[in-house]
Amino acid sequence: MNTTLIPMTSITYAMKAKKLLNSRGVYCEIQRTPSGLSSGCGYSIRVKDLSLALSLLEKNNMPHKPLDR
Amino acid sequence: MINFDNSATTYPKPAAVANAARAALLHYGGNPGRGGHTLSLQAAQKVFETREKAARMFKAQTENVVFTPNCTFALNMAIKGVLPQGSHVILSDHEHNAAARPVYALSKTKGVSFSVAQTYPDPKATLESFRKLIRPDTRAIVCTAASNVTGAVMPVKALSDLAKQHHIPLIVDAAQACGVLDLTLDDGMDFLCLSGHKALYGPTGTGLLISNGSYQLDTIIEGGTGATSASLEQTPFLPEKLESGTLNTVGIIALAPGLDFVQKMTPKRIYDHEMSLCKRLEDRLRNDERITLYETDRMRSPVLAFNIRGIHSEEAARLLSRKGFAMRGGIQCAALTHKTLGTLDTGVVRFSPSLFNNFRQTDMLAGAILSLKTP
Repeated sequence: MNTTLIPMTSITYAMKAKKLLNSRGVYCEIQRTPSGLSSGCGYSIRVKDLSLALSLLEKNNMPHKPLDR
Repeated sequence: MINFDNSATTYPKPAAVANAARAALLHYGGNPGRGGHTLSLQAAQKVFETREKAARMFKAQTENVVFTPNCTFALNMAIKGVLPQGSHVILSDHEHNAAARPVYALSKTKGVSFSVAQTYPDPKATLESFRKLIRPDTRAIVCTAASNVTGAVMPVKALSDLAKQHHIPLIVDAAQACGVLDLTLDDGMDFLCLSGHKALYGPTGTGLLISNGSYQLDTIIEGGTGATSASLEQTPFLPEKLESGTLNTVGIIALAPGLDFVQKMTPKRIYDHEMSLCKRLEDRLRNDERITLYETDRMRSPVLAFNIRGIHSEEAARLLSRKGFAMRGGIQCAALTHKTLGTLDTGVVRFSPSLFNNFRQTDMLAGAILSLKTP
């Protein structure tokens, strides 16, 4: 299955998002944001089910940076 | 040596705190938030776990928990971050220098004016005292939750209502209160400044600035945060905005079992135990006409301040140290409080037990105090 990166605003939000998604059974891993996706140091979460992940982040007021689609 | 100077820092610490510090040094050697490799992510995960624990304990959002080197830093960040040039601030007459000095410094550098509110055994009278000092240009109230000298407890909840009525933030110095009083953001303060190494039983070098997100702080320190690094502008969001530079990973990781310890024992049980020791000492000292006790007429945290006529407090503390008791004499970094008590010249001796002290130790101390010879 394909995975997608969601760039997060900080390591704290990346950790928070990972905990949230994992608790809902959504696969999620944290990794450094690749240079093409961010203009500075940053962290992203790698997810399998993008739409479910985005919807959970939104429902829980968890900010993230725009996706590179 | 029996430590009765736990208001300065609790000692001993729970074994789990020491074990966590050792584990942090041995196994969590990466720099959290500073890389994508496993060592960094593992350290970041542990820091996040402590942040979450603190957030749950003090009823905050995780991202609104900021780690600082100590409570003094937290107070400086809140006070200097919230007060604009030429504004007015009110603080209580029982503030530690950690709150009073930043305010005084702002009066010299940013034209900030300040008023000192008198406090009383009756919380309503204290509240009224603050209310009368509010002016159109007042931009914050700063108040300790409990005096580090006498333990006098301030009406934080009522003050938070007052602050809200006037749309200004309440900054609370809870260095001595959290861990023995059940204080959380639900009590209404906007900024809760804490020490990790006192009644939260963590290591020295740990402090917390916890906020409810209602007020944005200007920074007093800028630098690397591991986020938004391509910009020269400081990272704009919490907690990174206020956490420039490498964190005290070892201290933060070891703070977590300190928080667990307090939650397991509960602040109420800790308060009850420590207060019973204060009462025991108070009862033993009260009948000696040479001894003056301070502010025992009010609600207080578990501290007992006293003086022995004819012996300066520093000298009394020195003599007691020779008998095996760690006590703090002098003015405990609290000039305003001692001005209020009329003890700026003499200071006081402060008895501050922890959960690890007991009645036998307290009775031994009482005997040692009563045996001190007045010249």
